[in-house]
Amino acid sequence: MSGPMVLIERLSKRYLTDDADILALADIDLNVGEGEFVSLLGPSGCGKSTLLKIVAGLIPASEGRIEIEGKPVTAPGPDRAVVFQDYALFPWMTVESNIEFGLEARGVPAPRRRQVSSELLRVIGLAEFGTKYPHHLSGGMKQRVALARALAVDPKILLMDEPFGALDAQTRSVLQEELLRIWRRYRKTVIFVTHSIEEAIYLSDRVIVMTARPGRVKADIAVAEERPRDLTSPGMGKLQRQVRAVLAEEIDRAAALEQADLVAAE
Amino acid sequence: MAELASTRTRVETSSWRARLGSTPRRDTLLGAVTIVALLLLWELVYRLELMPRWAFPSPLQVVAAFYELGRSGVLFYNAGASVGRQITGVLLAAAFGVPVGLALGASPTIRAAFLPLCRMIYPIPGIAWIPLAILWFGIGFKSTVFVIFFTGIWPIIFNTMAGVQTLSGQYTDVARAYLAPRSLYTRRILIPGSLPFIIAGLRLTYGVGWRVIVGAEMISSIVGLGFMIDDARWQLRPDIMICGMITIAMIGWVSENWFFDWVERHTIERWGMKAMPG
Repeated sequence: MSGPMVLIERLSKRYLTDDADILALADIDLNVGEGEFVSLLGPSGCGKSTLLKIVAGLIPASEGRIEIEGKPVTAPGPDRAVVFQDYALFPWMTVESNIEFGLEARGVPAPRRRQVSSELLRVIGLAEFGTKYPHHLSGGMKQRVALARALAVDPKILLMDEPFGALDAQTRSVLQEELLRIWRRYRKTVIFVTHSIEEAIYLSDRVIVMTARPGRVKADIAVAEERPRDLTSPGMGKLQRQVRAVLAEEIDRAAALEQADLVAAE
Repeated sequence: MAELASTRTRVETSSWRARLGSTPRRDTLLGAVTIVALLLLWELVYRLELMPRWAFPSPLQVVAAFYELGRSGVLFYNAGASVGRQITGVLLAAAFGVPVGLALGASPTIRAAFLPLCRMIYPIPGIAWIPLAILWFGIGFKSTVFVIFFTGIWPIIFNTMAGVQTLSGQYTDVARAYLAPRSLYTRRILIPGSLPFIIAGLRLTYGVGWRVIVGAEMISSIVGLGFMIDDARWQLRPDIMICGMITIAMIGWVSENWFFDWVERHTIERWGMKAMPG
């Protein structure tokens, strides 16, 4: 039997600043299997985005083990692609150049790049927008382009950092559907950071609930419900209540921490 | 409630604006009226002999000087020389200043090493370099270009540096996450991402260069608009001086409003980045 796609063991992250030593993540243990859709759910400031960036190789862990397909993570790699929260598209590149950026970085010749981007533009339903610039697009369209940029490099793992957080409810649910459709089509392993319980249980195979700072894994909840899921079904309702109960104390603790920080700052 | 109130204010403001007739056309007209008024005042001072005639030409005499210098080709010859030096100096300043600015912006080490030196040399006025430039390069093209270069390089360096420093760290994250090599990062992210600042810097470089060139040509040249103006002193021809000054203003104005606006329209405006440098 082969190992997990992502293996995280006793991982900690410490930030040293001039006058403080902040423990952001403590003793994280987490395995993600190939093709699995896992959400990281937690109160703001719990370090879920930090954990995602560590998996991406953008920042190093302070202690512990992190491996992808058995190889330790030291830097970003071709097996991972990141979708950032506020799109992070380059305004000076056309939509198609944005999508092709990862391929350009890997030295893929231009004709082949164009082939990939035009195919992906069709998949995300923006076939006519290839030569437009990002500021012509709506938020939902921008996030689709950011997703296409990630898919273009054909990664094994998609790392998504609250990708739909800035979108309105309507656009958000459309993009969730689209993400599931793409996930099924391309069979990617997905790690998805969110602070929305509904989003987490609607999308994922497993929901990892994290504690307030320092972030630890508080609960690992499997969502067995068949897709397409219905958030109003009795099973999903029960799950929502269960996750909400686990999360509620952490949100309270996060709020208390924030208040303590403010008092300390004064 | 608050919404209603704000709507009403807006309606009132717009009708108030309509009554005053504040339109682009009205603004253009007002600008033109002021210029015409100045010309009339100028003519009046001349007619009333408030200034001695030998030192104060009439507007019509200046027009005649334009005609004379234009016909003989002297005006174009000198303007061409100045523009050639200006373009050479600005291009050199850009070719040197943009990479230096990028390096200063991107590397704290380079900043720590070179920024204090830059800040010390920067306040020296370009004109102060002229005597040294003459010693080094002699009278003429090279020394003038050197002065433009040394005056113009600072805005482009400091602006490019600021552009790199204000570039969102997220773009760097994207570049790293997608494995962009350093050269691609510089070419595709650092330079276009700082372009609003680079263009603003080039505008300033062009402006200070054009302002210093006249002074430089007066001292270290035997051709150019600066020389033409200075030379007119020996001929007691104030009309030629003013003719040269107006030519300088027009060339400066055209390049400012035409060339750099054109560059902006085709780059940062198209990318929706125009508002960035503020």
